[in-house]
Amino acid sequence: MTAKRLRIITLLAISMVFLLAWAFPIVWSVLNSLKTDSDVLAYPPKLVFAPTLDAYRDVLFGSGSILPNLLSSVIISVGTTVVTMLMAVPAAYALARLRFRGKKFAGFYVLATQMLPPVGIIIPYFLVLRNIGWIDTYQGIILIYLSFSLPFAIWLLVSYFEDIPFEMEEAAYLDGASRLKTLWRIIIPQVRGGIAVTIVFVFLNAWNEFLFAVVLSGNTVRPVTVAMFNFVSVEQTLWAKLAAVSVLAMLPVVVLGVVAQKHIVKGLTVGAVKGGGRR
Amino acid sequence: MATTAVTSAGIASEAPRSDFGHVLAQRERRFAAALLAPAFLALLATTTFPLLFLVYTSAFRMDLAMPFTNGFVGFENYQMLLSDERFWTSLLVSLVYTGSTVALQVIIGLALALLVMDMKRGQGWFRVIAILPVVLSPAVVGMIWRTFMLAPEFGIVDFLAINAGLGSKNWLGDPTLAMVSVIAIHTWQWTPFAFMVLLASLASLPEDIYEAARLDRASAWQRFRRITLPLLRPAIVMVIIMRTMVALTAFAAIFTVTAGGPGTATEILNLYAYRKSFTELSIGYGSALAVALLIVTIIISGILFAMRRAK
Repeated sequence: MTAKRLRIITLLAISMVFLLAWAFPIVWSVLNSLKTDSDVLAYPPKLVFAPTLDAYRDVLFGSGSILPNLLSSVIISVGTTVVTMLMAVPAAYALARLRFRGKKFAGFYVLATQMLPPVGIIIPYFLVLRNIGWIDTYQGIILIYLSFSLPFAIWLLVSYFEDIPFEMEEAAYLDGASRLKTLWRIIIPQVRGGIAVTIVFVFLNAWNEFLFAVVLSGNTVRPVTVAMFNFVSVEQTLWAKLAAVSVLAMLPVVVLGVVAQKHIVKGLTVGAVKGGGRR
Repeated sequence: MATTAVTSAGIASEAPRSDFGHVLAQRERRFAAALLAPAFLALLATTTFPLLFLVYTSAFRMDLAMPFTNGFVGFENYQMLLSDERFWTSLLVSLVYTGSTVALQVIIGLALALLVMDMKRGQGWFRVIAILPVVLSPAVVGMIWRTFMLAPEFGIVDFLAINAGLGSKNWLGDPTLAMVSVIAIHTWQWTPFAFMVLLASLASLPEDIYEAARLDRASAWQRFRRITLPLLRPAIVMVIIMRTMVALTAFAAIFTVTAGGPGTATEILNLYAYRKSFTELSIGYGSALAVALLIVTIIISGILFAMRRAK
């Protein structure tokens, strides 16, 4: 009996350590963002302090505001998501439900494109975009984001399309509905959930992307992940402001992640079980 | 569904059946082509074309800082690469980084999944907390660790080290510690991924096999070795493949934390190719390095996929 209790206590302790380890850096950033610089720098670290929103006020509305960068991040992420979904849904439907020659190859091609190292794509891309003057533009960044968002979205969607029973399409088709109408009216509503999960993933990946953004961004288009560097320089680090910017950069993805938590796990495992997926 | 349409047409009369079927099949092909075209054109433009262009540029000397020296050099970049010590170091760093982070993720993730699986309550907490690191931007993660966690005499890790009697350490300034730090950060961020996938796979295993094993008085370890591990194998291998691909081309976290330093201590191949191309502006040589990374990726994924099929 005591051995069992000891085991339970050990398990509990181990799990607490892991929960703490995962949550701590995030919680600590949130706490630091609510401090003044002198409170952030206090030693030993302060757990109790008078919270203030000064850091947020400064980074949002002070000079060198990151509002334009947050806006850039939103435009890039939403733009990427819309374009990706418009292309990925039809393609995934075709790969999952239609018969045509070269289908296997098409599926393999989509999978293979995911294996390309981003650094290999960005070098030639940079040269081309520089020539056509697309550096520091939304279209330049959104276009290159398709290189990772499209293969991922197509593979995830294929797994959802494959789950729909064929009878539904047959019935609609025999009733005289056109192919496109069947797809739009019958099939799409069936995979609404899968489409929602895919949207979340594509948005998350676009919001978090960094390498392409670093190379292609300039003064006009600079997402928050890149702009964050302004707060750390050799001379000084603006501690509380850096924490506030980090929290603002985390906020959308953490909210999405927690809200869509169950579906995200399903999306991840679809990849793991069926063999597609990235990240 | 095309088959159904064909059969119903066939009932009406025998003769036009194959014709009608042919028309339908052709229509299906056209429809498929129309649906696939936009996505495939975009993929061609954003992945295949850059790849070809990359191979092409790797045959040139293309120095943005000294454009007058530019020109076709054939395989010269690759010859240079073979005798470039920094290349071999970065390859080694890449392999150490990838190997250790993937191993840690799978081992810790699996151990934790087995532990949580047994928990009657509190699983929900794990699922919610575990999602946090996974959805965060590696750049933000790197920044948080570099400042609030690892900064000497200020970061929490250093604070704990001092209190544990280890003394303050230069976590990112010492070559060995810097490597340990970037491995730890990557492991911190991505272990929850392995944990979640493996937990989901564990939950989908059939319960009756375990019942039978218990009746046969198999010990916990035997149940793990003989039942859980073999049944989990496909999921584990898939996690290894997915995590390896990502670790090999990890960029943001190392870039924000150490930028490859101190010196070249944490410069993975990926980062070297980036630095060569965009910091030192030798795009031709950087392209050759990127091609080398691609070849390494293909070889490793080839080995892993062969592992997946084996057995």
